[in-house]
Amino acid sequence: MSSDFLNLLERLVNAGVDFVVIGGFAGVVHGCTYVTQDIDICCDFSPATLLALQRAISDLRPVHRMTPKRKKLKLTEQTCGQFKNLYLDTDIGQLDCLSFIDGLGDYSQVKRESELIEVEEMKVRVLSLNALIKSKKSMNRLRDKEAVLQLEAIKKLRKPEQDIR
Amino acid sequence: MLKPYSRGLIIENMAAKAKKKKISKSKSLQAAEIQAAIDYGIDVSMLIDNINRSCTERIIRHQIALNTAEKLRKARRL
Repeated sequence: MSSDFLNLLERLVNAGVDFVVIGGFAGVVHGCTYVTQDIDICCDFSPATLLALQRAISDLRPVHRMTPKRKKLKLTEQTCGQFKNLYLDTDIGQLDCLSFIDGLGDYSQVKRESELIEVEEMKVRVLSLNALIKSKKSMNRLRDKEAVLQLEAIKKLRKPEQDIR
Repeated sequence: MLKPYSRGLIIENMAAKAKKKKISKSKSLQAAEIQAAIDYGIDVSMLIDNINRSCTERIIRHQIALNTAEKLRKARRL
C-alpha cells in the first residue's frame, strides 16, 4: 500500500492525539521542495496519548521499525512509560513519535513554538519556521544542510502575509 | 562659514545618504540566505512557487511526488 500522510494525520487528529508535526514533513508544509519518506511528530508521552495514538493506527499493522524483528506495536498502560521515542511503520507510511526535540525541549515547549494550520478542514499543529531552523541547526547533521538552506531562503522570501496558511 | 540653512541641507543630505546605505546594506543581507541557497544548487523558483501555494496544496503535491518515487523504486527492469 502506498503512503498517505494526510490519512495518518487525520487519524491522529480524530483520535484526539495532541501533537505537533516536526522534522522534514514540517519543512514540506513550510514550502521545502524535497520529498520525505516519514512523518515526524512530537507528542506528550503520557499513557493516555500513546494509547490514543495506538488506537488511531491499530488497523494499519503498526510495527516498531527499528527493532530487528519489527515487533508489533502493543502498548499497555504499564509499558507506555518505557518509551521516549516511537519509530513506527504502518501500512500507509512511517510515523516517528518523539517526546523531546534537540534545541527546543519537550512537548510543552515544542507546542509553544508551533503554529496551527488548516489542512482539508482539519486543524494541525506544525513547528514554526524559526523553531524548525533552530532544531535542525542544533542537530548539526550533514543531511540537514540543504533543508536549513531551503528553510532560511523561505524565511527571507516569504512576505508577512504569507505566514503559514 | 556656512549659512545655517545650508548647514541644515548638508545634514539632511548626510542623513539621506546614511539611510540609503542602511537600506542597501539590509537588502544585501536579506539576499545572502537566498544567494546561499542558489550557490548550493537549490532551485529558488521552486521555493517561490511553493510559498505561493496553500499548505494543503504543498502536502498533496509532496504526496504525489512521494508516491511516484515509491512506484519507480518498486518498478522492475524490463
